[in-house]
Amino acid sequence: MKRKSSYDFYLILATALVLFAISVISIYGMFYFKFAQIQQMAPALKLSYMDRMNDFVTPFIIILILLLGICVPKRLLPTVWLNRVTLLLVGTAVLTAFLADIKTSLLVILGASLFLQVIVLTLALAGSKNLNFHKKGYWVRLGSSLIHLGFILLVLDLLLYERKILHLFLFWVTTGASVAGMLFCFYAEVVVGFITGKRLSSSEINI
Amino acid sequence: METGLQGMLPFTIFSQGGSVVMVTLLILTGIITLSAVLNLCSSTPQYQKPSTVLLLLINLFMVAGFLWICWFHWQIYLKLPLEMEQSLIAWINRQLDVMNKGSSYGLPLLDAAAPPRYKIPFWIENEKYFFWFTCYGIMALLVQFRLQSHRFRAILHLFLALQVAILYIWADPFTSPLPQFFREIAPWFSPGQSLMAKAGYFMQLYPKMIFYYNAEYMWFHPPLLFVSYAAITIIFITSIFMLVKRELLVEKVGYEYAKLGFFMLTLGMLLGYPWALKAWGPNWWWDPKICSSLMMWAVFSTYLHTRLYANKKFMWYFTSFLGILCFLAMIFTFLASFYFPGEHTFQ
Repeated sequence: MKRKSSYDFYLILATALVLFAISVISIYGMFYFKFAQIQQMAPALKLSYMDRMNDFVTPFIIILILLLGICVPKRLLPTVWLNRVTLLLVGTAVLTAFLADIKTSLLVILGASLFLQVIVLTLALAGSKNLNFHKKGYWVRLGSSLIHLGFILLVLDLLLYERKILHLFLFWVTTGASVAGMLFCFYAEVVVGFITGKRLSSSEINI
Repeated sequence: METGLQGMLPFTIFSQGGSVVMVTLLILTGIITLSAVLNLCSSTPQYQKPSTVLLLLINLFMVAGFLWICWFHWQIYLKLPLEMEQSLIAWINRQLDVMNKGSSYGLPLLDAAAPPRYKIPFWIENEKYFFWFTCYGIMALLVQFRLQSHRFRAILHLFLALQVAILYIWADPFTSPLPQFFREIAPWFSPGQSLMAKAGYFMQLYPKMIFYYNAEYMWFHPPLLFVSYAAITIIFITSIFMLVKRELLVEKVGYEYAKLGFFMLTLGMLLGYPWALKAWGPNWWWDPKICSSLMMWAVFSTYLHTRLYANKKFMWYFTSFLGILCFLAMIFTFLASFYFPGEHTFQ
């Protein structure tokens, strides 16, 4: 148990580090935009700035997607199996980035992660002998799964925004998944109370 | 205020009513500030029931002020339609038809029987501060009932007093309402316009009406973010207390507002995305406001992740530090619109 909680803890720290890196890139982008007067530049130069910033942030987005690929399913699937799949995906990402470009690499990772997250969501929905929809833990896990799926779909949508109909469809699925995920995750007790039809205290709702 | 518009809208009544609200708020928050300072300095609670009543009254006046703003916007909707001659409507519709053919997001054609009207949400220009601080006031009242610590309540009250002071000194929405909006539309309502001049003004006003003032996303994107900002302020106060003392109830309240704040922030940011594509086209990514919003979301996300381990001693303080950082990131993100150029600038 202690080993599992250490694994969780280090995953959280890794996620925090990646989010910190994305924050630093964002702040760099702000100041670069201002001092280089990007808004005054010709469209081609603006696009060049955007492409450069995308190239900076994409490796961290890939790492974040890989981390959340482990984070949610780690309670549903064996850790060793997950670690191996993650290493395989890392290898695939690096190879694709060298053979094609970073955008293709991101697409490959997104596709694989989307597939994995759908499996995870199905497993979370199905529940288990000890964890079903009367328990708070079921809704927390389902909500967490939906939030992470929503994040993957959002990144996919950002790559496909030019296809208006597909973009709008993906966008609303993303929003629905994220909203439902946050509701289930953050307000699991309320959800359980609503389903069971009575107000339960935290001690009565098993995690 | 442009003379043409003066007679069309009840500016004087609105400003006078608003002054009553603002002066009353200033007096009430002045009194609550005294109570807050006393409680901060005292080891025992002082005047808790009166301060709760004061906080309730402040909230009532803030809500009343907000409803007063709603009434004024209703007047704008009723009394400022963009009416024009039938021949001009026909000509403009021909232009819009051609424009819409090549565009992903077109402008609706005009109907002479139903001229376009401004349906302006209640949080633009200075009104956004009023809405934001009203949300904070309501949250402060709810937290007042949850937490008994007189010093915690004192800090809640001081923040509210500061916000009312900001409203009164810099961001009064009642004295000179919506100056930028009225500056934009004043030429339309000036008498003696030629048809071509009117056509020109219309083609400036109409896209902004459709994609900004009347945009359906305007009813969701800003208010969700302001609710989030108010929740982040509560998180800031709880985080400071967590640094001083390990009190689980304070941590619990902070976490509840963290969940609410993150939910509102994420949904608000998500709803900004399709609106940006519609209003600005595709080339706004990595705009400074977008960058700072990403940064704020990343910090907030980190904060929520680390809270899972807040029971570990080091993580308790690290989480508190991140809660404070969330607040600073929020202030930075908001101020970015004034300092940095780009699509989302207030410059």
